[in-house]
Amino acid sequence: MRALLLRRLATALPTLAIVLILSFLLMRLAPGGPFDGERPLDPATRAALTSAYGLDQPLPTQIAIYVGRIARGDFGPSLVYRDFTVTDLVAQGLPVSLTLGALAMLLALALGLGIGLLAAGRAGSRTDHALMLAMTLLTALPTFVTGPLLVLVFALLLGVLPVSGLESPRYLVLPVVALALPVAGAIAKLARAGLAEVLTQDHIRTARARGLAPWRVLVVHALRPALVPVASYAGPAAAGLLTGAVVIETVFALPGLGRYFVQGALNRDYPLVLAVVTIYAALIILFNLFADLLYGWLDPRARG
Amino acid sequence: MKLPLAFLALIAVAALIGPALLPWSYDSIDWNAVRVAPLSPGHFFGTDSVGRDLLARTLTGTRITLAVAIAAASVSLLIGVAWGAIAGWTGGRIDEAMMRFVDALYALPFMFVVILLMVVFGRSILLVFVGIGAVEWLTMARVVRGQVITLKARPFILAAEAAGAPPSAIMIRHLLPNVAGVALAYLLLTVPQVVMIESFLSFLGLGVQEPLTSLGILVKEGADDMDIAPHALLLPGGVLVALLVSLTLIGERLRDRFSG
Repeated sequence: MRALLLRRLATALPTLAIVLILSFLLMRLAPGGPFDGERPLDPATRAALTSAYGLDQPLPTQIAIYVGRIARGDFGPSLVYRDFTVTDLVAQGLPVSLTLGALAMLLALALGLGIGLLAAGRAGSRTDHALMLAMTLLTALPTFVTGPLLVLVFALLLGVLPVSGLESPRYLVLPVVALALPVAGAIAKLARAGLAEVLTQDHIRTARARGLAPWRVLVVHALRPALVPVASYAGPAAAGLLTGAVVIETVFALPGLGRYFVQGALNRDYPLVLAVVTIYAALIILFNLFADLLYGWLDPRARG
Repeated sequence: MKLPLAFLALIAVAALIGPALLPWSYDSIDWNAVRVAPLSPGHFFGTDSVGRDLLARTLTGTRITLAVAIAAASVSLLIGVAWGAIAGWTGGRIDEAMMRFVDALYALPFMFVVILLMVVFGRSILLVFVGIGAVEWLTMARVVRGQVITLKARPFILAAEAAGAPPSAIMIRHLLPNVAGVALAYLLLTVPQVVMIESFLSFLGLGVQEPLTSLGILVKEGADDMDIAPHALLLPGGVLVALLVSLTLIGERLRDRFSG
């Protein structure tokens, strides 16, 4: 188990370093800069600004300074939101995004596992086929279509939930549902496939032969090994939730990290975009690591 | 299988020839019919908030979306097949290194890499698909590698080697034709993913730029306007969903057939 963890860490850290360096270089390659406005600045002002933000140093120095600062949790000043450091913006946005993501993940797990169990319990039946088709539809629906549709139905037509903003927990209902749906679909399909395979194995036949209730066989004996494919999906699921959150935060006007990311990308706010990419990459890598541990716990043979 | 195929064919044909048959183009404005409902005279899908015909815009948008998707999926096919075939065929350390690289890329947040590319190189449609294609080849590479490794041990490949055929000939004449089926299935599954990414970028304002349009832009415009004119969201959204669902269903069916 510890060997596995160390091996994974050995790939995770270089990946993070590559993300940092590549994204930094890419942003610096960009034509146009943060001080390009409608009116050209006079050269002295431009030079002063450039040196104040350290943009006149050679590239390797800039990278070294950048990595060193990030290690201390300092992402530098935002180039567009003049009175804020990027760390301030991240500190404001990250809790919103994490709450949104965690709630969506919980909902997706509950829905996905529930439907997966239901379908696998009646494998081959009409219910099974209908549920799996519905799950394929869910995974194919983009969040930027389901989000507005949910608003249209529940906020504008029925008027039971707020349209956008974040003033009370009620404002999170629609965003969380919209974000969770595609992930729930994918989890249901994986759980269903995993269960169907486990159910053909000998220990299940033995459990049934002992006269255990069908739900007991399903939940106590089949569920844990069947969760292996679901666990291996945890990494992609985290990536899906993060990218989905960018859209959802834009659609529902939630003050999360994703909105800052889009604004930063449109405004060429280098430090902000780099900070968000770094945090997203770190989160995804962390999730993959967690998935590997989960994997080892679910299937002792993978502990190697 | 028949229904998704029919849907897909309908959408593709409409997108291909439809714009030529309509009196309105995607950017022409009808001042007498601003934001009219569907089925109004002359505007089958109605018009948007500045009086542009929604049917014309939806058809052109579908065409752009499909064009980007096909181009990007082809880029991913080329890179993925080449990468996977080389890794699977050479084996050993090179294979290990090449697949480790793929694993590392898998851990990256793709959408953000594509967005970074857009930000850096400007928002051109060409870059949208090169960027997407360049990050969407990973699954293809894994699948092709697996396939090549199984094929490598088969007698007909050994026979070709024993007969003195050069590796390039074995690769092109014996390996690739046998990989084609699986590659096609995954190509079809890549297309909806690319459609999704393109629409996502356009929705955020980072992809295709106005006045040119794509399904993502139309959904965005519809969402901004949906309290007054819900049809502007529902029609392009419906086309996008139909497209994504039929492509996914066909792709999954093909994949199940070829991977046994």
